[in-house]
Amino acid sequence: MTPDVGPREAALRVTNLHKAFGSLDVLRGISLAAHEHDVIAVMGASGSGKSTLLRCINLLDIPDAGEVHVGGELIHMCFDRRGQRTAADPRQVDRIRTRLGMVFQRFNLWSHMTVLQNIIEAPIRVLGVPRRRAIEQADQLLRKVGLYDKRDDFPAYLSGGQEQRAAIARALAMEPEVLLLDEPTSALDPELVGEVLKVIDDLAAEGRTMLIVTHEIGFARAVSSRTIFLHQGMVNEQGPSRQVLDEPRSERFRRFLSGGNWGRAALTTPSQTGGNE
Amino acid sequence: MVTLDLHGYGWMLWRGLGLTILVGLGAMGLAVALGLLGAWGKLSRYRAARWLAGTYTTVIRGVPELILILLVYYGVPTLVQDLAASAGRDLRVDLNPFVAGIATIGLIYGAFATEVFRGAIQAVPRGQIEAARAFGMGRALLLRRVVLPQMWRFALPGLGNVWMVLIKATALISVIQLEELMRSADIAARATRLPFTFFFAASLFYLGITIASMLIQRRIESWSYRGAPRGQG
Repeated sequence: MTPDVGPREAALRVTNLHKAFGSLDVLRGISLAAHEHDVIAVMGASGSGKSTLLRCINLLDIPDAGEVHVGGELIHMCFDRRGQRTAADPRQVDRIRTRLGMVFQRFNLWSHMTVLQNIIEAPIRVLGVPRRRAIEQADQLLRKVGLYDKRDDFPAYLSGGQEQRAAIARALAMEPEVLLLDEPTSALDPELVGEVLKVIDDLAAEGRTMLIVTHEIGFARAVSSRTIFLHQGMVNEQGPSRQVLDEPRSERFRRFLSGGNWGRAALTTPSQTGGNE
Repeated sequence: MVTLDLHGYGWMLWRGLGLTILVGLGAMGLAVALGLLGAWGKLSRYRAARWLAGTYTTVIRGVPELILILLVYYGVPTLVQDLAASAGRDLRVDLNPFVAGIATIGLIYGAFATEVFRGAIQAVPRGQIEAARAFGMGRALLLRRVVLPQMWRFALPGLGNVWMVLIKATALISVIQLEELMRSADIAARATRLPFTFFFAASLFYLGITIASMLIQRRIESWSYRGAPRGQG
């Protein structure tokens, strides 16, 4: 809220991000900053660039222009021989990614590993955490998300809600500075949405810094401190969640919130599109 | 069991069987190694690697196996000797038929394994690879911990197939005088003038190998399906 006063850097700062897929401009100059303990809800209709925004932050997609700072550290970009923009130092990207937890719409748990193995894999292999400590920590997280009794099961035997809670535990095990959640409940059956939102709600109460792409308006109002509404690749409206969700100023946002055509469609058919929209 | 009178040549068939299995296993090992390398080449970012792997599979799969075997066993030593002679050196190269057999069969089936592995690697769900990248896994770690372990699940049925065809193709190397199962049967059949008896016996041996292979393959596959619901059945 007070970027000009303190010297403290934002946990995550995105400046003027652009991304096009072929001739389709998905992001057209997006800037945002998440300070510690901020919970930012990113909303928008299908195709407004929400998921792409998250994917450009941890460089799963390479932004065409713009800067990303994580905890004050700029991700360095350069151009390769063919003129493609790319990360200047892949090791820096890997390092930064360990500081950004990612939760995917379709969970993306590693199917050949048990729930426990999924959670301890990256801490052990990437961060070099001793195995025993990683397991202790994983057990703690599993209790927190209510999956301790499933720790030795393979993902294929879990419900969608359980899979997503396991995926959240996997992200938390990296002790990330910022958690990126990409439509974490959109692929779930309606009766499973609640258990996942409950876990995310707990994380917000703990003061986790999060960026959540979501269609759950009530959830955004209750949990997020700020809401950003994207439209056609740009920030259409943003502000404190209660304020902008209760009294949206832009016509677009109002239509989206009232569950008119687009918003409703995006809410009821979340799964077919993969996650690039 | 029905007894088949082998007129004292039984030991020869058993010895031939042992050699066939040895050549088969050696060639399969080589084929798997070449297949992984080939698949890596085909999926590489580098054009030279893609070209090399593409040429390998095209050439090998496009030429009859028998010709390749004769080419390697007789052709390569002659070629090397001629080259040495033209350089004014007298060189005599003898290829060990056992080694030549493994090398050629391995080379041929490596091309088929390449295609099996390429398909299997591409069958690993993209989202799981993205998750690994999102958690800061580098290329090598991603390959070793996420892609390869899952790739086997998709590759095993195809590899089993490669093995079945490969083990039968080892009969072809009887033409380079290696006394594996086929050649042993041939020698015994000529000596006793009982071709039906010995070729029939040999075919039972081959059938035995394939049936045993199928049983082993089933076990390996159910192990590789750990984590996938249908593996539990």
